[in-house]
Amino acid sequence: MIKLILQRLALAFLTLATVCVLVFGVTEALPGDVCTAFLGRDAQGTRLENCRQQRNLDQPALQRFATWSAGVFQGDLGTSLKRDKPINDLVANRMRNTAALGLGAALIGIPMAILLGVLAALRRDRTPDMVISGGSIFAMTIPEFVTATLLIYIFAIQLQWFPAITTVRHSAPLSELIPNIILPMVTLALVMMAHILRMVRSSMIDVMASDFVQMARLKGVPYWRIVFIHALPSAMLPAINIIALTIAWLLGGVVIIEQVFNYPGIGTLMIRAIYDRDLPLVQAIALILAAVYVLCNLLADLASLALNPRLRSAR
Amino acid sequence: MKTLALSVAVASALLSGVTAAGNFRLAHDVGYAGAESLDPISPNRFFYANQMLYSRLVRQDQNGQPSPDIATRWSASKDAKTWTFELRQGVKFHDGSDLNAADIKYTLERIKDPKIDSPVAAVLGVIDTVKVINDHKVEIKLSAPHADLPLLLMDYRVRIIPENSGDNIAKTGIGSGPFMLDELDPEGTTVLKANPNYWEGAPAADAMEIIGIPDSQARVQALMAGQIDFEDSVLSQQKRLFTNNPLFKTQSIATGEWRALVFRTDTAPFDNAKVRKALRLAVDRNEMMKLVSGEGAGTVTCDHPVWSGDQYRTEINCDQDIATAKRLLKEAGYENGIDVEISAADNEPEWLRMIEVYQQQAKPAGINVKVNMVPSDGYWSDVWMKHPAVATRWSQRPADQVLNEAFRSTAAWNETFFKNADFDSALDKARSELDFDKRKALYADLQNTLWEQGGALIPYHLNQTRVMRSNVTGLDPVENFSIRWNRVNAD
Repeated sequence: MIKLILQRLALAFLTLATVCVLVFGVTEALPGDVCTAFLGRDAQGTRLENCRQQRNLDQPALQRFATWSAGVFQGDLGTSLKRDKPINDLVANRMRNTAALGLGAALIGIPMAILLGVLAALRRDRTPDMVISGGSIFAMTIPEFVTATLLIYIFAIQLQWFPAITTVRHSAPLSELIPNIILPMVTLALVMMAHILRMVRSSMIDVMASDFVQMARLKGVPYWRIVFIHALPSAMLPAINIIALTIAWLLGGVVIIEQVFNYPGIGTLMIRAIYDRDLPLVQAIALILAAVYVLCNLLADLASLALNPRLRSAR
Repeated sequence: MKTLALSVAVASALLSGVTAAGNFRLAHDVGYAGAESLDPISPNRFFYANQMLYSRLVRQDQNGQPSPDIATRWSASKDAKTWTFELRQGVKFHDGSDLNAADIKYTLERIKDPKIDSPVAAVLGVIDTVKVINDHKVEIKLSAPHADLPLLLMDYRVRIIPENSGDNIAKTGIGSGPFMLDELDPEGTTVLKANPNYWEGAPAADAMEIIGIPDSQARVQALMAGQIDFEDSVLSQQKRLFTNNPLFKTQSIATGEWRALVFRTDTAPFDNAKVRKALRLAVDRNEMMKLVSGEGAGTVTCDHPVWSGDQYRTEINCDQDIATAKRLLKEAGYENGIDVEISAADNEPEWLRMIEVYQQQAKPAGINVKVNMVPSDGYWSDVWMKHPAVATRWSQRPADQVLNEAFRSTAAWNETFFKNADFDSALDKARSELDFDKRKALYADLQNTLWEQGGALIPYHLNQTRVMRSNVTGLDPVENFSIRWNRVNAD
């Protein structure tokens, strides 16, 4: 078990290293840099040279990569070229905001999805199932920025219940962010729910038709007990991987959602950083996102182990 | 518990939608990623805040003409090389100190300081020395005659700051304008409060809230949801959301901004003036404007950069003339047509559309236009002023400034590589001519020269669509630099 976890961790580390090299290589291969992006038409002569010198861009790419990597090992993500501030400071608050958004969406979305999925499975092909499954296909196929725009139109512009976009700064206390967080959170939860719900529904249908459930029924186990104690844990097994993937998707989806809502999170910062050609910042954020992705998958594996005794005793 | 949290959230959302009455809210695009500076001459200048915090010596009136701000009167010597400015009495900076001649001297000399290397230095390049005559009078000596020095001093970045405040002005924002800095937060909300001692009287709004919203779509959402009162410029597609909507007012403002196709006059085949004229005669400008930017989206221009609101603009007839274009090409030796490749990226949405329209319009004249798509990254450093034909964009500048910055032989941004000694000396002559009518005629000649020989195809100047909530008052339909922020309010 511990050996397995260690193996996973080593693999995770390798993945992250590859991500770093890839991101660095790709951004380095593109024409232009932070100075040409920033100076625009002034990017000529001494002004350009000074700008590059100040930011150590005149050093060879490999050397810059080495310096940056060395910093990362000591927990220092480097300095933003455009913003001229330590990346750790830039990222900290925004990471918190994004985490609040993502966790909020997950906390609403996952239990709702499981509940609705079970309900749809138990009422298979009847009205509740039709409504739930139909709705989830709808939520899944509409791109999240369309959902977001619809929600803004209804709840911010027509009803004026929530602000349409966030206007508070990234370092504002969470309490100030709460009114701003609701619409993006609902948007994320809707899309996320759809995926998980469909998985839970189909695997629940399978499990309910399986022999051990049949056996439990014959033994006279109460219905709710069969559903929640016997069937659901088994039905959750395939769903856990989907949940992990969905949480990882959340990190990508969050980029678009944050942009639509002007939400001061890691996603908007990422987009701005790419736009500004702020290489160290892009790299740092890519690294963080990749780390969360890998971590989610690792946790999913561990959760499967916990839920499924067969996996634990296999070796 | 959940319902409680939700109702708290809803309640606070409702509260956050309603700000203190008398605050005017507008958005900015956080173009400098939070490094927005209150130093008026920094390359990272915080545009809106600096418009409101600082005064100028001379400012635009509603028609764009120089009118008194801190300077009440000015006059030039016969040779237009020595100028004296009389200053308004009793003006105070936000910190309570008096604004006097020494501050003007400091401000102007700081702009020219080579150590600061400000982009504004080029605008005031003609200023040689600034002398304090007394507390309320300065004398400016120029290195060459310039009849329109007040126009240069009207530049939106030439803002007066207190003597010796250069090192910390970027954070303090101490000026003498209608609003004073309360909180600087470019990525969140920057708050400026009314300056009760402003020389024109206390401003109409109690405070200005400048909110950082990078995405233009998000700004439109904020406007629709009532989170901001005003948006400077919306896209033509977004305009429909606001016209015929009783909650909003729109203004269509002519500006000096343009998109253009430029041909290097030092590179074959564009080194032949006849070819260049033919290339420019083949365009139907009205049609192009309609197709690229929308009906009534601008003012047609005949390849000179002087915009419709400028007193020196001259009107030329530049209707499409395929027959003449063909004749000129034939004379230049291109009887069987000519191939032209234009490089462009998608930095500006208009560029590719413009080239596509041009492709169709120029075909009958035997001009075969090809598009060379290049990456938008590094466009200004690797493509512009390098490839023989490229797309370009310029923002509004006064006639003298733009003619000098874009078409003088020695200009750093002479993107057409236009080298014409007569043109250069005519530029010098125009700016030293003290008689307005004569000066206007000289500038008209310069514009005609560009129409005859220039390498830039400037089809039209763009209008900007400004949107505000219907309760906004005091915001006249004038160009951005002429807005009197002290009169603006949302009741």
